Amino acid sequence: MSSTVSAQPGGLHTSEVAAEAGGHAQSAMPTALLGMLLFIASEVMFFGGLFATYFNARATSPGEWGPPAGAHELDIVLAGVLTAVLVASSFTMQFGVWAIRRGNIRGLRIWTALTLVLGVAFLAGQLYDYSVLGFGLADGVFGTTFYTLTGFHGAHVFGGVVGLTIVLARAMRGQFSARNHVAVEAVSIYWHFVDVVWIAVFSTIYLLK
Amino acid sequence: MATTTLDPRAGTYRRSWVLDWLTTVDHKKIGILYILNSFIFFFAAGILALVIRSELAVPGLQFVDVATYNQAFTMHGTIMIFLFIVPVLAGFGNYIVPLMIGAPDMAFPRINALSFWLLPLGGGLIFSGYLFGGAAAEGWTGYAPLTAERYAPGVGTDLWIIGLTLVGTASILGAVNFIATIFKMRAPGMTLFRMPIFVWTILVTATLLLLATPVLTAGLIALFIDRNYGGSFFDPAVGGNPVLWQHIFWFFGHPEVYIVILPAMGVVSEIIPVFSRKPLFGYKAFVFATIGIGLLSFSVWAHHMFTTGQVLLPFFAFMTTLIAIPTGVKMFNWLATMWRGKITLATPMLFALGFVSMFLIGGISGVMLGQPPIDFHLQDTYFVVAHLHYVFFGGSVFGVFAAAYYWFPKMTGRKLNEPLGKVHFWMHFIGFNLAFFPMHQLGLSGMPRRIADYSPDAGWTIFNLVSTVGAFMIAASIVPFLINVVATLINGEPAGDDPWEANTLEWATSSPPPAHNFDRLPPIHSERPLFFLTHGHGHGPAAGRERDLVEEPEDDAERRGGAA
Amino acid sequence: MGISDQAIGFVILGVGLVVVLGVVFAIASRGGDGATARAHPPRGVHLPDPSLLPVALSVAAFLLGGGLAFRSEGQLANPFLAIPGLIVLIAGLVAWVRSSGREWRETEHRPHDDGAAH
Repeated sequence: MSSTVSAQPGGLHTSEVAAEAGGHAQSAMPTALLGMLLFIASEVMFFGGLFATYFNARATSPGEWGPPAGAHELDIVLAGVLTAVLVASSFTMQFGVWAIRRGNIRGLRIWTALTLVLGVAFLAGQLYDYSVLGFGLADGVFGTTFYTLTGFHGAHVFGGVVGLTIVLARAMRGQFSARNHVAVEAVSIYWHFVDVVWIAVFSTIYLLK
Repeated sequence: MATTTLDPRAGTYRRSWVLDWLTTVDHKKIGILYILNSFIFFFAAGILALVIRSELAVPGLQFVDVATYNQAFTMHGTIMIFLFIVPVLAGFGNYIVPLMIGAPDMAFPRINALSFWLLPLGGGLIFSGYLFGGAAAEGWTGYAPLTAERYAPGVGTDLWIIGLTLVGTASILGAVNFIATIFKMRAPGMTLFRMPIFVWTILVTATLLLLATPVLTAGLIALFIDRNYGGSFFDPAVGGNPVLWQHIFWFFGHPEVYIVILPAMGVVSEIIPVFSRKPLFGYKAFVFATIGIGLLSFSVWAHHMFTTGQVLLPFFAFMTTLIAIPTGVKMFNWLATMWRGKITLATPMLFALGFVSMFLIGGISGVMLGQPPIDFHLQDTYFVVAHLHYVFFGGSVFGVFAAAYYWFPKMTGRKLNEPLGKVHFWMHFIGFNLAFFPMHQLGLSGMPRRIADYSPDAGWTIFNLVSTVGAFMIAASIVPFLINVVATLINGEPAGDDPWEANTLEWATSSPPPAHNFDRLPPIHSERPLFFLTHGHGHGPAAGRERDLVEEPEDDAERRGGAA
Repeated sequence: MGISDQAIGFVILGVGLVVVLGVVFAIASRGGDGATARAHPPRGVHLPDPSLLPVALSVAAFLLGGGLAFRSEGQLANPFLAIPGLIVLIAGLVAWVRSSGREWRETEHRPHDDGAAH
């Protein structure tokens, strides 16, 4: 659904009219951006539910908590690299937002493309990790919670990649300006959210001993 | 209006009304679609209730086998909650909230339509289990391990999971829409503390939906993974935990019941002042009570799990008792509003008063159940069934019918017939109490819930028989309602803009409103803008019903129509 | 002797259909909403166009969901339902994004109006 919300045009008109009319509780936030923030709140709760299953399973399942016998240990180095990739992509995304706020659509194109590349790199790395781990969704409760948590995070990254593609496509067509680019703001917030969730996932699965 | 493409509505050709309703993004039409769709599911789930009550009237399995019975109570609960009561209140919210705040539509009209269409399709998926070997049959609460692949092998439970996920998504999108609309699209002068209480309850309800439904989605997905991809979330044999399902489900499930009741309370808070000719007593207290209920609702979920032995009893019992307080505040405010008012017992008011009295009983039985020593005896008995029907049905459904009678004139331009409405109310009220009051006694004497049959020596037969009579009376009471609706739609008395002499903005435009809702808005300086428009500011009543509409300057009339 | 699940399902379906058709007929026989739909909003109010996309995306979700439910052993989802669902989903999303782009272009060229709705 991120692509739906990201395609909101004309958000700044709303805030402009609001500023002129002065009037009631209208802050400068475009409605589409508020919509994206609310949607992200719901996604936070969704991941909260998944984290709850992870913690509950960890607390109640018998025996050692980790990959099943015979499988590899988790590759924390690879996960660390993926974390760096995603954090870097948040920076590139934000540079893109700052660029378009100054009216620099060429800058937006470059930074968005970079973010897209980093996002795809993250997904590729995640898939590679899955392929070498040696255990699956059906291999006990650790496998189930591991794949569910990282899998749904990956799905959200994929959604973000779709949103970034749309933003890039529209940026290539010149459809953003300094005063009218709410889709970029919305997608960037979504992307930062995805990054923050990954930090939580990484810390929980790889760092918490 | 948009003029870029050949706009069919410009009058070049008359669209088919099927296409019109299929493609509408108008919140008023979408609201009506929600209400119609919900009532269809209401009738379906009602028939299932009659199946249940017919089977339980006397001992012995006369009509259905146990498997069919299990599907009946599962689908009854699931459909009533997810496909009737929540959507119908959302439907009234959809129609009325933009009007009440002076907006031309919701913030995201196309997403609004998407939220609606997911409902019949998601509901269809849930229901289609009947066509494929049996619908879900593990109770609307779907406890693990009953729902595990091993014990519920059919596709019905999978369809239930997926259908509920679709319905949940619709709710989340709708919640985003309501919150954005209420915060961003109020007319000038309508501060938050001048909004009608109904809008406040929808706001808090939407927040609850936004934050609680995703947790259910997570749980449903986990269950689907367990059933289909070899997952181990809830299977103790491979390290999973069945009680985890209960935690996840009820963390959603408890806010869900407040989602069901708050809008109905909002409706009642609109109706009682109008039919008592007095302003609502304690507006601010109402707002804070509503917010308080919303916040507290996230802290009580484990009172559904007292008997697992795995939850902290004192904490949840305390929070459960605490949440009764803001509800009590509302009760006193409604009564205080009526005190020394000039009361008219029109049908909407009758249903509102029915709500107040029946919800009081349901609330009391709820506080009883919130005490662990009592709950240990009454968990999973008919006492719980009595409680939940007094709050869901005696509360929310009475609120729904109150809303239907109250806003029908606004939506259709015609007034429903009063005598028929009163017949409906009394049959409904008496039937309801006949059906559900005996269940308190049944629970106290130990009758478990979700059983298809019981022993003739248990002493439960007479109560069950009376309850079944009541259930059929409720069903019969729908007949005058349907006759009323259809006859009024075909040839009813015109209602005019403001048939009830009400206080809020939806009555300041025609019945039904034009597509853009308002040609001109009255000035808004209080929470009863229409009242002051009609009656002036204490300088004596305005002549007749003459409206003194202030000519708004052009700039102020520039609405933030449909945000970007 | 017992009533089969299928029979109950069909009875409910039938009753529901009759009820909804009855009410819809009653509403439609009033002459439709043509008059109200053609009224002109005040200056500054922009109402969005009707759209079939919400229905289309819901149908896509329905098909995808059905595909997941009716999977056979070893499949991710049933291809007969999931593939059409995916096609409708992607086509619908593309159409949605493109129409938003169109609305954006309109609002860019009419700066006095407020933003387009979504």
